[in-house]
Amino acid sequence: MDGPAWLLLRGVCRGLHLAGYICVFGTALYCAALEPGSRAPGLRRLAWAGFALALAAGIGWFWLESAYILGTGKPGVILAALPRIIAATRFGWLTLARMGLLLAALAGAQTRRWRGAAALSGAGVLAQSGLGHGAAMGGGEGAALFLLSLLHIGAAASWLGTLPTLALGLRASPQPACLARRYSRFGVICVAVLLLSALAQYGLLIGRARLLLSTAYGATALFKAAQLAGLLGLAGRNRLCLTPALPRSRAALLGSIAGEIALGVLALLAAGVLMQLAPPAMAGMG
Amino acid sequence: MRCFAALLAALMLAAAPAAALAHAYLKSSDPAAGASVPASTSRLLLTFTEEVQPQFCAVTVADAMGMQAQTAKPAPVPGHADELTVPLHFEMGGKYTVKWDALSTDGHKTHGSFSFTVSG
Ligand SMILES: [Cu+2]
Repeated sequence: MDGPAWLLLRGVCRGLHLAGYICVFGTALYCAALEPGSRAPGLRRLAWAGFALALAAGIGWFWLESAYILGTGKPGVILAALPRIIAATRFGWLTLARMGLLLAALAGAQTRRWRGAAALSGAGVLAQSGLGHGAAMGGGEGAALFLLSLLHIGAAASWLGTLPTLALGLRASPQPACLARRYSRFGVICVAVLLLSALAQYGLLIGRARLLLSTAYGATALFKAAQLAGLLGLAGRNRLCLTPALPRSRAALLGSIAGEIALGVLALLAAGVLMQLAPPAMAGMG
Repeated sequence: MRCFAALLAALMLAAAPAAALAHAYLKSSDPAAGASVPASTSRLLLTFTEEVQPQFCAVTVADAMGMQAQTAKPAPVPGHADELTVPLHFEMGGKYTVKWDALSTDGHKTHGSFSFTVSG
């Protein structure tokens, strides 16, 4: 349970869980703020799909993390220890509480109370930061890392989470150009916060460029940065080339958004793995 | 946006002086590593670099023969989520090795060991 393959699997489950969670949040945020009153078909189905992914991957993550904590793969032992893990670890109770928030958000989405759904699922997205290093460290540096993590996760969820809904909206909208321009302004803010918080975290958690290649944490962060670079390329093309050419470029824009979603999922998987690893600026203390 | 960048810069500066630490590593202990203490010493205090989850931490204190000196599981220290305390009882002097396994609140496991000497 302590080996690198298990670590990778835990990280992938955590990343998929985050992707599903972000999809529910993004759908609610989009319907609450970006295209209020949107009647694009498939919105609620999208929220349900995100919930199903968050739940399935979340169960996988919970099981694997419990096995890791207990140091055993025996199902009976893990099952018997679940109440203790939920009661006595922050991972346990926070993960359960976050799933409760997501369920409540889904109920809101079902009745088209999008603002409430966005607030509930947004709280659950940000609560991931409570399981990061910043929250565990305390002190000035811990507080700084915690705040950066809130900004980073919040910006990533707001941007990546709203992409699937944007695609639904663009497909159905009679005025796609207007919608795309509005989204573009929102996207620029998200990307700016995302990049600045990523840079600051790089400074605190990695620090030296050579550690990007010589440590697992650095290499995973580099992989994540590569996905982000690809995302930025696509987003720039959407903003500068495809959006001005709407509605003629609608099909190309939808294809480009699909590419962004694929890269976004890869980045989230990398984020899931990253959160299992020790940052190199902090290693060597054993 | 400029305002936000300034805030980030301030955050980084504020954080810079503290040496970066993460995962629950041992920051200090009492008895300290390499220390020599009387046989009347009745507890071990471990201070970590992160908050730990006492229910899933384990500590053993044993001499070269494997005789264990801890009399209970590690317990939390109220008000100090980064500390663990272990009650001890020494039957005889000698070199004792502390082995610790910790789970931090970020869900990561760490472990380590150190020794101290009991006189008498
Ligand atoms: Cu850690």
